[in-house]
Amino acid sequence: MSWEFLAGQFAAQFGLWWVILPAILLGIVVGILPGFSPQNTLIMLLPLTLAVPVEQAMAFMIALYCANHLAGGIPAILVKIPGSGGAAATTLDGYPMTQKGQAQQALVLCFTASVIGGLITTLATIALLPWLSQIGLYLRSVEMVVVMLFGLTLIAVIAGKDTLKALIGGFFGLLIGVIGTDHIYNTPRATFGFLELYDGVPLVPALIGLFAISEALVMIEEKMIVDQVGRERALSARWADTVEGLRISLQKWWHIVWTSFVGLLIGITPGAGASIAAFVAYQQSRLWSKHPEKYGTGIPEGVIAPEAANNGVTSGTLVPTLALGVPGGSTAAVMMIVLQYHGMVMGPRLFATNPEVAYGVFVSMAVAYIFMIFTILPLARYMSRVVLIETTYLAPIIILVTIVAAFGERQYLFDMSLALVFGVIGYIAHKTNYHVTAILIGVLLGPLFEQYLVRALRISQGDLTVLFSSTLGNILWGFLVLSLVVPLWRNYRISRS
Amino acid sequence: MKKTPLGADLVIPAMALGFCAYFFVSIADLAWEAKANGLVIGSVLVLLIAIQVGKTVVQLVRRQADLGFGPLFEPRDVLGRRIGMVAVTIAFIATLKWLGLTLGLLLALFAALWIMGARGKALVILPVAVSAAAYLLFVVLLQSDIPHGPIEKLLS
Repeated sequence: MSWEFLAGQFAAQFGLWWVILPAILLGIVVGILPGFSPQNTLIMLLPLTLAVPVEQAMAFMIALYCANHLAGGIPAILVKIPGSGGAAATTLDGYPMTQKGQAQQALVLCFTASVIGGLITTLATIALLPWLSQIGLYLRSVEMVVVMLFGLTLIAVIAGKDTLKALIGGFFGLLIGVIGTDHIYNTPRATFGFLELYDGVPLVPALIGLFAISEALVMIEEKMIVDQVGRERALSARWADTVEGLRISLQKWWHIVWTSFVGLLIGITPGAGASIAAFVAYQQSRLWSKHPEKYGTGIPEGVIAPEAANNGVTSGTLVPTLALGVPGGSTAAVMMIVLQYHGMVMGPRLFATNPEVAYGVFVSMAVAYIFMIFTILPLARYMSRVVLIETTYLAPIIILVTIVAAFGERQYLFDMSLALVFGVIGYIAHKTNYHVTAILIGVLLGPLFEQYLVRALRISQGDLTVLFSSTLGNILWGFLVLSLVVPLWRNYRISRS
Repeated sequence: MKKTPLGADLVIPAMALGFCAYFFVSIADLAWEAKANGLVIGSVLVLLIAIQVGKTVVQLVRRQADLGFGPLFEPRDVLGRRIGMVAVTIAFIATLKWLGLTLGLLLALFAALWIMGARGKALVILPVAVSAAAYLLFVVLLQSDIPHGPIEKLLS
């Protein structure tokens, strides 16, 4: 791959601006709405993408996919409703920033972290593709069990004052996550007789219920979601706030870089996705921070880490898809269908036979991110005005529109009722300080954790020592222990001083 | 001294415990691969709930707390609105098959806004605008399988 080839690819992709810009706008719209995953949107638009040349189809799908990942953070920050699982961790600090009247700044941080994180990891992927494609081979079920545990430790991290309540919430979520048929024999477990639960608890209704509905039921206690000071700040929102957000992003460039690489590495592993990447990045960001106690109160790092990571995933997901022919996620699977329809054979040969498509996918991603920053950054100022809408209007719209959105993912009416049930659970959890995020982490990671654990145990015929049988796995175990011990040691030092 | 109402704190553990019991019953006859994970998670959950209950009992014995459910229903002045919103949502889901997305959402949003205290033009404009947007997105653009009612049939 020569510089001339790359320059030509970039020039060709910039020429597809008329495809990329509408895709970005569509991606932002569906990304804001919980329930509209990029894969669903791409499946609906499959007739269109199959009908146009492969370069245009890929540019459209890639731009929509990346914009979707970025936009999930917008409602997470403004009204505490993550647009997707990958944005759930963004609510932890994004929404408190909004409540402090820093919505515009939080949005700018979200956009810049997403774009810079996505761009850097995409460029790194282009440069290191042959080596990165091997990583997926080393991260097997044993190692993935430990990666999942990294995510689960966040339950204890976000607990705040009441660890016991957070743990009860987290384990309750984990048990809910086990609902559905098991991974080996497909026998149903705790499905309450509902066929709709055989595939497990769907993420979108859980997300909508625990965050959107419960939050809307709580927000009606106040006239607005921000206090008087926040209202005044939102009213006097200026371009200077956008510039300030940019300044903070540039100041924390290293934070964006390393958390986006967390996303890239997790994204390369087939099956793992943006949700786990965002939670692990948040947990690691807090762990290595000089002021971990400020996380959860609305600090820039708490927005940057999950957003950079969930956009770092975007290029990572496509690595095993193109290099090995194993889709890294459901969106990548849809893209694979389109590529195969156009006669591309996935796997290492793709880079030799069709380098303009193989590398073009990543170049297209880089170009989409460049377009995205100019498209969305100016909108932060206007989006932040959402906080000025009175809860009298906001709460009914949130509840009813998100209930409809719950239908979107699987097209089951059952999912709307399920979202309401989760809404009531979320409301009770909210009012009694059982962290809803802890419950969601359990629901999200429970099935993945079980999948990898059972697979590892199945290989070893039930021998638990298999979990300590690989060098990489043991290194990860070491890091996990470290990430649990460091906060304790830090607290001990603080209490002594 | 005012006692802390801890009854509300036991609602989530009670739900979790009930679900845990149901889960254990449902996996009793399954192979170890199917129940290992749930069994471990459920056992830890039961242990954590036992600790939470123990903490509550200690506070009750010391007369520092009672089994009140106050925090769940406070502030009382918005309780009616909160219950009203949930009731409207249940009614919306229950009647969606017959009313379809557009009419169902229009009526539900109108009712929810009215319960929330909205009056005047907003009470009409918002439901019309939101249900029209939902129709365009779900029915026209995405052609989803969401139930069609009289308005969708009329417009098709």
